[in-house]
Amino acid sequence: MHSPLRVAHVTPAYFSPDSVVGGGERYVYYLAQSLRVAGGFEQCVFAVGAEDKRFEHDGIPVRVLRNESPLPGAMDAFSTALWRELPSFDLVHVHQSLTVFGAYTIAIVRSLGIPVVGTDLGGGENELMLSRGGMELLDGVLSISRYAHNLIAKFFSGRHEILIGPVDTDRFVPAAGVVRNHCTVLCVSRIMPHKGIDRVVAALPPGLRLVVVGQVYHDPYYELLRRMAEGKDVRFIHDADDTTLLVLFQSAGLFVQASTAQDVYGNTVAKPELMGLTTLEAMACGLPVAVSDTGSLPELVADPRFGRVFSGQTDLSAILSEVSEGTWPGPDAGAHARAHVVEKHGMETIGRRLAAFYRLVSARQGQPG
Amino acid sequence: MRILFLTNLYPPLLLGGYERACANIARGMVERGHEVRVLTTWSHLPLPADNPAWVHRDLDLHWYIPHKSSNSTVDIRDLHSAVCSSYANTLHLLNSLRGFRPDVVYVWNLTGIGGAAILDLLNQVRVPWALHLMDRVPVDIAVNTPPAVLGLFNGQGSALYGRARILSMSQHLLDEIEALCGIAFPQGVELVPGWADVSGALPHQPYLRDGKARFVTAGSVAEHKGIDLILQACARLKAEGLAFTVDVFGDGELPRYMDKAKALQVDDHVRFLGLRSQAELVRLYAGYDAFLFPTWEREPFGFAPVEAAGCCTPPIMTRNCGASERLVDDVHCIKIERTADELIDAMGRVAAHRVDLARIGRAGQRLVTTDLSFARCLDRIEAALRAHAHPWQHALADDPTLPLLAFLKHNLSVRLRFL
Repeated sequence: MHSPLRVAHVTPAYFSPDSVVGGGERYVYYLAQSLRVAGGFEQCVFAVGAEDKRFEHDGIPVRVLRNESPLPGAMDAFSTALWRELPSFDLVHVHQSLTVFGAYTIAIVRSLGIPVVGTDLGGGENELMLSRGGMELLDGVLSISRYAHNLIAKFFSGRHEILIGPVDTDRFVPAAGVVRNHCTVLCVSRIMPHKGIDRVVAALPPGLRLVVVGQVYHDPYYELLRRMAEGKDVRFIHDADDTTLLVLFQSAGLFVQASTAQDVYGNTVAKPELMGLTTLEAMACGLPVAVSDTGSLPELVADPRFGRVFSGQTDLSAILSEVSEGTWPGPDAGAHARAHVVEKHGMETIGRRLAAFYRLVSARQGQPG
Repeated sequence: MRILFLTNLYPPLLLGGYERACANIARGMVERGHEVRVLTTWSHLPLPADNPAWVHRDLDLHWYIPHKSSNSTVDIRDLHSAVCSSYANTLHLLNSLRGFRPDVVYVWNLTGIGGAAILDLLNQVRVPWALHLMDRVPVDIAVNTPPAVLGLFNGQGSALYGRARILSMSQHLLDEIEALCGIAFPQGVELVPGWADVSGALPHQPYLRDGKARFVTAGSVAEHKGIDLILQACARLKAEGLAFTVDVFGDGELPRYMDKAKALQVDDHVRFLGLRSQAELVRLYAGYDAFLFPTWEREPFGFAPVEAAGCCTPPIMTRNCGASERLVDDVHCIKIERTADELIDAMGRVAAHRVDLARIGRAGQRLVTTDLSFARCLDRIEAALRAHAHPWQHALADDPTLPLLAFLKHNLSVRLRFL
């Protein structure tokens, strides 16, 4: 009987209104949950915050360490308490590894001689970690998509794994007995230019309704969307809670993720959509999807029966026309979507592969050379 | 043993007793058959003909530079390199660890060579190392480096020193370090006092010959060594009509103090005689009645009064300086509060034959030639290093990513220092 491998997840922020409510922070919890499903591990999540505290999140212990960084950004936070908190762990997974937080934390973990895995969640592009070679200090890299991996592949020569997910397929499920409104198109994202919501509004044909769920992070863009929506059936929801969102996933006819590398104002986005977790959650609820060919999004949609990829306004208009006319998606699209997510991106699959990767890295690190 | 000495300065470049002591101990270890390498900084001064091949002057020095910049950013950058991290120096140390494979690394003064990063590297490769404290090196690192930067090197609190064997020349110095930056050494400390080699001393001449008191002092000619107090005392004693002279040996602020001696009209009693070698001083002390050492209270120890005491020349010294832990008042020395009045009183009593100089001189010589002898102290240091040295995993130093890790830390430290 092997003793459980002790894994520390270290992240600059934690998913909470007290810290940051973002995909990167939620991802860490999900990953820990998937590893718990796999079994054989003891875990703790370490985050940095305004003050020290401890709590549990779905059975995973969370330890918040006081931020000691003189820099103001959330991705620049760090704690020297890691020197005393980490030595008992067998492996440390540093999330947001391409930030000041990541560089500082990796320096500590490597100094302690503990195997370290890094993951870029889009929080930064620290030069020391990339072009100056810092990534080579990692014993393993876990990427959240092939696209994310390709962005960093030339900076790292060691072990890597690509895991897209996990998705909580117990929580994100189709609703029994609910009839979908096939004329409702759903967009869920922060309202920001690079999310490309304007492209969906512009392509929306008569007969379809668009529901945009998300908080406003860019007022001029929101005003632009409202003007574009005049005369169309568009509704904005800014205060949807988890339950409302789930109901929308379970009742809409199509989910659209229209992120773009160049927004409506002409601005270029460096790393758009490293992983479209919301898209996967929609699919887990049996909702067919249409995604842009931006970032990692095409990787999520492997089968045209439940998902389509568009590269521009014309493509998207054509897809929405098919939806409006009822020629796509087919009646089994939702079932295919869910089956795909459960098999490829579910907790069990991701947990099993993650466990294997952690064991590989921790075993290899102890070998000479 | 294979001993790697690590020191900021090494003769001919030196400031005082710390560097000289390092050189003496290194040479002593070589003479005892140990394999020694000294890793130190460049010297712009001509090297002596007998400069040993085992002294490697590869390190860069970011302190003790003759001129300071008028640009504060440049100064802070130098300070950062001096006390926190100098990447080139960290790499040189790593290369020495890989090439020399020491049984123990013996660390002396680090100021000027990037101490935090250097100690961090020693801890990472887990080589046994010892730190010989003759000044407040940990304070220099701790108070001149922001906490967030220190944290990169595990430099918060006492963690940086947890694996080290600590040798200190006085408890006084340890107390000062703890008071100023909270760093203590729970693993224990070997107290190795300052020493003297007085084998070249001449028989002491009669005290107070011709009814005149002959005082001497040696060391840095600077305020903290008490030169101002000595000149003030001379002025008062001259006014009182005492027959005395004071000879001052050493380098420092000579023009200022020569002017001051003139201004106080004591230049006929005080002579500034410049630098002398230790061997010369040991021979010269035989002709003096007392050694003046009204140094600042934070003096970690003070080699010079010990050397004088070993030559039967009683020191008049600050009551709570480091050396006072070893020399007993009215037995080996005369202790004073660091005031002009007390110095005047002590010099006056000496000149007035109210102190048994011969008795104190004999006791001082006995102490120095036994407990405080160079050979005895070298024994203790050798034993401490031998006890601490143990096989270590050379593979840790050979890790090809270590330069990368040091690079990351160095550059992050600069980034966080200069926001």
